[in-house]
Amino acid sequence: MKRIQPRQNYLGATGWLWAGNYKIERYLYILHRITGLGILLFLLLHLIMTTVFRIQGQDVWEATMRILHNPWFKIGEYLVAVAFVYHGLNGLRLIIQELGFALGRPTPPIYPYRDSLRKKRPWTMLIIAIIVILALVFFYDFIVGGW
Amino acid sequence: MRNTYLWFVQLVTGVLIAVLLSIHMVLMHLDAILGFFGINVNDPTSWHSMIQRSNQAIWASLYIALLVVVLYHALNGLRNIILELTPSVRTERIVTWAIIVFGIIVFVWSSYVPIALLYA
Repeated sequence: MKRIQPRQNYLGATGWLWAGNYKIERYLYILHRITGLGILLFLLLHLIMTTVFRIQGQDVWEATMRILHNPWFKIGEYLVAVAFVYHGLNGLRLIIQELGFALGRPTPPIYPYRDSLRKKRPWTMLIIAIIVILALVFFYDFIVGGW
Repeated sequence: MRNTYLWFVQLVTGVLIAVLLSIHMVLMHLDAILGFFGINVNDPTSWHSMIQRSNQAIWASLYIALLVVVLYHALNGLRNIILELTPSVRTERIVTWAIIVFGIIVFVWSSYVPIALLYA
């Protein structure tokens, strides 16, 4: 199969975090990756817990649960929950926006310009607001209420 | 397979995860609200409650379905991040196959456990 060579990444690993003059969507993108990698780490730990420790019987499982009820793990659980909410809602925003929904009608290029990024941005802000509200609710639920 | 198809499957699995993970989360963490609606899950992390779930095929199939979509989404995302360094074709092939092998090992082990526990 003939392979199309992609555009070369001259920045190397620093390009993961910084590649120019960014607007807010690009910071959301960086955060999307960080939360994604964090959730991957959580997934592997979760699978080890629910398979390797699970099949060893009641004693091992209850010892595991005692460790996981440590308050420090509450903070970890909170971070995982917020990462899930962020990754899920931001991913929903990406699917809707990148497939071209909710863009509105095309407008003539007359000042003040309404390019696609500016049309999308109110929805982006709404999603960020929902994420922040849910993070605060979870903070109450995990840290304040469920200590 | 072309990366555009992989990316489309990434979107589809993302939506599927949103559905399946919501079910998983509600059943695992909202025991108070479910109890209000008459569904009794009494402390999902207790051993007794887990034994009850392990014996039902519907739970095993939910776990395995969630496992498939989550593993695809996670490992394809990881591959996308690594390949953004635009390595050589050879390195790219090594990364792809390493991720596929890792994913198959995790899938086989993690779906073997709920199926084995059905008959335990």
